[in-house]
Amino acid sequence: MAGDDAAGGPPTRPDERLLNLVIALVNTSAAMTKQQVRSGVHGYDGAPSTEAFERMFERDKDTLRALGVPIVTVEGSGHSDEVGYRIDNEAYALPPVDLTPAELGVVSLAAQLWSDKTLRTDMSRAMTKLAAAGAADAAGDAVAGLTPRLRAAGDAYGPLLEAVSERRVATFRYRAANTGRVRVRTVEPWRIAARGGAWYVVGHDRDREATRVFRLSRIDGRVRVGPEAGAFTIPDRVDVDAALGAHVGSERTAHLAVVPERAPVLRARAVEPAGAVPRAPQGRDVVTVRFRSLTALADEVAGYGAAVLVLEPAELRAEVRRRLTAAAGLDRAPGATGGTDGAGGPEVRHG
Amino acid sequence: MVERADDRLVRLLGIVAYLDGAGPVGVDELARQFGVTPERVRQDIDALWVSGTPGYMPDDLIDFDAYSLEEGLVSLTQGRGLTRPLRLGTREAVALVAALRAMHTTPAVQADPERAAVVASALDKLTAATGEAAQAVDVRLGGEGDARVLGVLAHAVTTGRRVRLRYVDAADTVSERDVDPVRLVTQDDATYLVGWCYRAAGRRTFRVDRVLDAVPTGEAVQDREVDGDVDVFAQVAAEAGQSAQVAVLRLASPARWVAEEVPVESVTDLPDGSFEVRLRVTNPAWLRRLLLTNAPDVLAVEPADVAREVADAAREALAADDGDADDGDPPRLG
Repeated sequence: MAGDDAAGGPPTRPDERLLNLVIALVNTSAAMTKQQVRSGVHGYDGAPSTEAFERMFERDKDTLRALGVPIVTVEGSGHSDEVGYRIDNEAYALPPVDLTPAELGVVSLAAQLWSDKTLRTDMSRAMTKLAAAGAADAAGDAVAGLTPRLRAAGDAYGPLLEAVSERRVATFRYRAANTGRVRVRTVEPWRIAARGGAWYVVGHDRDREATRVFRLSRIDGRVRVGPEAGAFTIPDRVDVDAALGAHVGSERTAHLAVVPERAPVLRARAVEPAGAVPRAPQGRDVVTVRFRSLTALADEVAGYGAAVLVLEPAELRAEVRRRLTAAAGLDRAPGATGGTDGAGGPEVRHG
Repeated sequence: MVERADDRLVRLLGIVAYLDGAGPVGVDELARQFGVTPERVRQDIDALWVSGTPGYMPDDLIDFDAYSLEEGLVSLTQGRGLTRPLRLGTREAVALVAALRAMHTTPAVQADPERAAVVASALDKLTAATGEAAQAVDVRLGGEGDARVLGVLAHAVTTGRRVRLRYVDAADTVSERDVDPVRLVTQDDATYLVGWCYRAAGRRTFRVDRVLDAVPTGEAVQDREVDGDVDVFAQVAAEAGQSAQVAVLRLASPARWVAEEVPVESVTDLPDGSFEVRLRVTNPAWLRRLLLTNAPDVLAVEPADVAREVADAAREALAADDGDADDGDPPRLG
């Protein structure tokens, strides 16, 4: 037997010590004190000092709680004032899930989505627990030929998830997009989100006293998580897309003048115009499209250069011209373009 | 590689719970169920066998039927209270549910109602089992696409039928291609079709939002060894590495996303908050479009001929737009 005693036997492996701790705390009639754990549970007997034992036990409790093991503390009673520990057997079990083979196939495929090692580890543990619950063999038919893939969230993910889950304040150095300056930000984080291949955290910025979106790739260095759990409340409804400005305003119509044969991607989105249509200049077709984001459509149209012109609305035309005017100056001396002028600037303020 | 203690613990607990529900199971089958080698399973059984409640007398330990195990059959006779599967931890629930939610919203899944229904039911069952915690992470991927085109492509991939694509590339040139579809890859903000292109006589990756039309030709795909599991971002970066043409852009801070989303060779932060990226150009049309679109945040471009080309295109567009403004006829009914 491994780690049989403290005197010379091979040390018990941490996984086996954790296993014995779980068994002990599941089976204890009332609760076990630290002293009982130290003297009774296999693997703790080898701790060279009380301090070493304390550190080991604290770390093990954290590990088990992170894995979902519900360790509860019991106030001392009767002859002992010492706090005791046990596992809440009601809360321990995974409720029945009963996935069909096709559904399990979906879950297996979804597991491929994550690029981050930590997320992959979390996912594979979840899969092990589903396997333990008796999930049958996965059938991939339902999702054959699909691959989902998302770029890595990076190191900020772990601490931010802890902060969101436990409602702790997060502090980090952040490079603001509009100024390029790095400042310390103090945030009550509500959601971690990925959109369009980028990762964000949405929350309440304590200094700005407003909702802000931060891009994870612009966090400089470590995210620090505050000591107090439950430090704020998360609004019932957090609309990530609204915070990111994805659905700005209502849907509108734009009339574009397109050179024949050009911009087939825009043409494919064309709708039947309702009402008056402006006249296109000689040799161009009117293409009518619906849009929500003025900046996104202005980007798209400007990218076509002279092949696509804006007839209406004037606001879109001005945005496109702002881009073209800047581009027309690009062959002048470096720096002569003058950067942003703020006219019709970004629709959202990120961070 | 040494396995992490917490990973192994989850499996050790899982094996006991599984055996309690499933009854005696072969070593190989147990290994398959938990995605590990039979040797690992035997080591796990050995570890479980010596674990139990304090005292660790024979009656305190987890126990298996030794005779069955000699026959390769794992039969649990004493589970010491570990007979129920452990619930998911917060992080695990988040990773699982967020991935399924993301899958469910992808155009590639939505294009096929049957597929969407399977993902939705898996999501429902797991959300019910994990509770509210899983809301912490909210992921969308795949962008938007023409549902009809995507439906045709999804069906063609599943049934192994050739399709004829009308495809427009980054230079706005339309081509018609017969493609044996292999896989739909949803990566970040776009969906891609990976397949064997007859025109190029090789594997090609097509952005689905640039597929103008897709029609089944009626033929079955040919049997070829085409690896469809393409990492599009890595592929673009690898192709860029082959290119000899280098461009250096100095950008104002709001264009920071270029450094984050485009495969660049280097990023240099400058004292005034602007930054410089160095990138290899595989697709001049793409670079021209990037510069036209983001010109207000572009401070300098090298080499000079790239800057001139973009500026010429912009001047031409402004002139055309001015011409239109002079033509002041009132709108008329369509």
